[in-house]
Amino acid sequence: MSPNLSRRDLIRLAGAAAAAPVLSACAGAPPAPSAAAPGTFTVYWNAGHDYAAYRKVIAEFEQANKVKVNLQKYQWPDLRTRLLADFASGTVPDLVEEPGGWVQEFAISGNARSLQDFVDRDGGAMGFPADWQPVTVERNSYQGKVYGVQLHLTCNTLLYNKAMLREAGLEPPSTWEEFLAAARKLTKDGVYGVALNQDHTYVWPWLIQAGVTPYDPATGEIMGPREAAVEALQFQADLVHKHKVAPVPVSSTDYSGPQKLFSAGRAAMILTGPWDLDPIRKTSPDLELGVAPPLKHRTRATQAAGVSLFVPAKAARPELSWDFVKRVTAAEVERAATAETGMLMPRKSWAELSEVRSDPVTKVFADALAIAQDPSQQVRLTGQLGKWDEQLKVMYQQVLIQNQPAAEALAAFTRTAEGFLK
Amino acid sequence: MSVRTPRTLAGRYARTAYLFLLPAILFFAAFFYLPIGNVVATSLRTGPQADQWAGLGNYADALGDPAVRHSFLVTVAFAVMVVIGSIVLGLALALALDQPLRGRVVFRVLLLVPYLTSVAIVGLLWRNILDPELGVLNRVLAGLGLPGQQWLNTAPLLTIACVTLWQSVGYTMVLFLAGLQGIPETYHEAARIDGADAWRRFWRITLPLLAPTTLFVSVMAVISGLQAFGQAYIITNGGPGDATDLSVFHIFNVAFRTRDFGYSSAQSVLLLVVIVAFTLVQLRAGRRGEVTY
Amino acid sequence: MRRTLLYALLALAGLVTVLPLLYMVSLSLQTEAETLAADAVLVPDSPQWGNYAELFTRAPFGDFIVNSLVVAGAITLAHLLFDPLVGYVFAKFRFPLRNTLFVALLATLMVPFFVRMIPLYVLMANLGWLNTYQGLITPFLMDAFGIFLMRQFIQPIPDDLIHAARIDGASELRVYRSVILPQTRPALAVLGLFTFVFQWNEFLWPLVATTTPEMRTIPVGLTLFNQEYFTLWHLTAAGSVILFVPTAVLFVLTQRHFVRGIALTGLK
Repeated sequence: MSPNLSRRDLIRLAGAAAAAPVLSACAGAPPAPSAAAPGTFTVYWNAGHDYAAYRKVIAEFEQANKVKVNLQKYQWPDLRTRLLADFASGTVPDLVEEPGGWVQEFAISGNARSLQDFVDRDGGAMGFPADWQPVTVERNSYQGKVYGVQLHLTCNTLLYNKAMLREAGLEPPSTWEEFLAAARKLTKDGVYGVALNQDHTYVWPWLIQAGVTPYDPATGEIMGPREAAVEALQFQADLVHKHKVAPVPVSSTDYSGPQKLFSAGRAAMILTGPWDLDPIRKTSPDLELGVAPPLKHRTRATQAAGVSLFVPAKAARPELSWDFVKRVTAAEVERAATAETGMLMPRKSWAELSEVRSDPVTKVFADALAIAQDPSQQVRLTGQLGKWDEQLKVMYQQVLIQNQPAAEALAAFTRTAEGFLK
Repeated sequence: MSVRTPRTLAGRYARTAYLFLLPAILFFAAFFYLPIGNVVATSLRTGPQADQWAGLGNYADALGDPAVRHSFLVTVAFAVMVVIGSIVLGLALALALDQPLRGRVVFRVLLLVPYLTSVAIVGLLWRNILDPELGVLNRVLAGLGLPGQQWLNTAPLLTIACVTLWQSVGYTMVLFLAGLQGIPETYHEAARIDGADAWRRFWRITLPLLAPTTLFVSVMAVISGLQAFGQAYIITNGGPGDATDLSVFHIFNVAFRTRDFGYSSAQSVLLLVVIVAFTLVQLRAGRRGEVTY
Repeated sequence: MRRTLLYALLALAGLVTVLPLLYMVSLSLQTEAETLAADAVLVPDSPQWGNYAELFTRAPFGDFIVNSLVVAGAITLAHLLFDPLVGYVFAKFRFPLRNTLFVALLATLMVPFFVRMIPLYVLMANLGWLNTYQGLITPFLMDAFGIFLMRQFIQPIPDDLIHAARIDGASELRVYRSVILPQTRPALAVLGLFTFVFQWNEFLWPLVATTTPEMRTIPVGLTLFNQEYFTLWHLTAAGSVILFVPTAVLFVLTQRHFVRGIALTGLK
């Protein structure tokens, strides 16, 4: 190492050390170095989404743009930790896959780049937003501008064990009343009628079906109408504690509890998304899997979920990033990824594909996508989703696991939420 | 420039001491105190980029925040269980395995095995084992004709404290074992000749001479007990409800889930103050307990 | 009689600590379907040794192992070099601000790492040390744990020994090397073991400080075997067994240093 270089290192060290607080220092710092060496294109990706269909896109992208793609695979919480450190240092990746909700969060905080200019230019050719389910465009926009493009679109619906329902002489339930009646009839020694998830995000389909609006920025009302929200929460708690047709969930960072019970033939019904299909088929190839539309109470609806892509504001080559987005969300890539993994996709034209229409499982999901909503959007736009989610988790588990009366827990939740949403 | 030789012996030793300390002082300044200084500076700011001045607002908020208070109480309860448990069990095991037992090497290895494994893997493993419906533990209980238990729902804090103890007791044991090696055998011999029984020898010789080790173990146990994180992060996710919302887990969520670095930094500084206070009390008590022979 | 009871208790304790890890070994030899089975499989039908090979085909697992060894090894050596010296100063020297400095040192243990992580990350990014060995190693060259540990173990060494050496004209460094260090062998063994184990299992810093798969350490690399909603248990467990082996070997090698030799126990 030349003395020259080490002196520069020292100066940089001193400079970095003097910048206090470092978190806000990047604004005044000299142009930040890109995460990657020139010629490298860095993408943060979920470790579970490394599909062959996307590998093919990456190879083509590398060929066309003469770059090497550095695909960094993470679990969601790790990816987020990583990304927040990157935002603080100004060294950012070229493209990020996110689990839903981050696009608006980072648009608000100024860390995501608006893609509106690219959409204006290329949207017609690629079919964006015309070919995307409307909910996916809305949840990736902020102040009328597009900041992200949906990659996968998923939703919750009803999975049931056909043999168990047949044996009990039941049709798949369609309403809450039918669901409860079926669960009671299906519960017997060693088998639960239904298994509920410990994770609080699974509360949303119930709340939407009950007609609850999580947050109305116009009136400031939280979880209104209140009686409907209490009813939805208490209905789930009663399945566990009163009717005893569902096991008590265990708080954890894992979502697979209900799926495991279902696979083992110890739960007849679960409410979940397409992510549980693969494990069920792998562990229980003989299980007769039925998929039914989302339940109906006041309305028939479900929660939209799934991942999107966004470009960090400080990404050095947004044109390249956008090229990647276009390629990986192309209709034929969606088709290939579905053929490979069964994943559900956000294009309207995808939902009309013959292979989607002819698959009894995928078809039900595809139809449900049209009635899928993103309920936490209004909260997200306040920038307070993090606090909201922490509180919601506590409240949901107090009701579902600890059997606290729903009205009481919900009142405490809304009081706290009023505090930080103001 | 010439360095004057200090006139007194004490001065010379002080100079040597600082000379030996110099690399450490530079290292800790760069990698600990500067970052910690940044944390303090950040604690006076707010917003997702921590770029808006907040003064002491974050501190005022933290002191009045029921969730912060709750998580602190949870943490203290957890730390008390883990500190007492690991000292008592660790010392007992060390004394047992310091004796000339056949096969003690095997026992030592077995008892330290959990510590050698990462917290993340231990957490995942126990999460699976403790699952009320599908876990191995309830299957074993059922095999013995006992009713299944919902450990993580009925006694979540105690359960994760036990998992922590399970993992850390071997580590405490090793520290005590090493400490026991520093006690010259002659003391025991002399006491034996004087007719002191094992119990008396333990109280009169082993325990006082083990004081530096005990101080180290208890200071470190309090520090790590009050900073427990992995168990909540991996096993319970802070639940059910907020029953295992340990302070550091809470702070992590404020920082990386809520992205309120100002608020999380203020809470870290408050936690730092609390732990320093605990440690000072222990060091003072420890100084009184130290015996020189 | 008492001895039998002691054996029984120790055997029970050993069983409790080791059974969950045997379960981990069992998981590492199961098929994916067996690991997902609702009624947990305790002993696999036929052991799937191929799981271990799969680690290396699915990810650069060999790189992970090398990286882990280099990083944890270098940090451990640094600790063995620096911690006893600093611990010795705090144990045996009188100098101004000693207690203040010591408490300030201990205070560094009281801030969770992730709180310091972002400033540290920015520092490393500015140095251009991200994704390098020096970036992974440098922030951990010493810590208060090791210094405190060594101070506590050096304290009981009689001052007379030090004075005698000084009177013999030994330099300060020589006093340290020939009087102090030989007396602290059990503590050094403990320090080396614990530092290695801690760094070997460290997750957060290698996660953020590496930017290519080839620079990851084993704990970070293991997260690749998680899918979005479920874990590939057979691979995660196999990786964990590999993760476990070096620490166990190190323990077996070092443990005799902190245990009295039988000859010295006064056994009649």
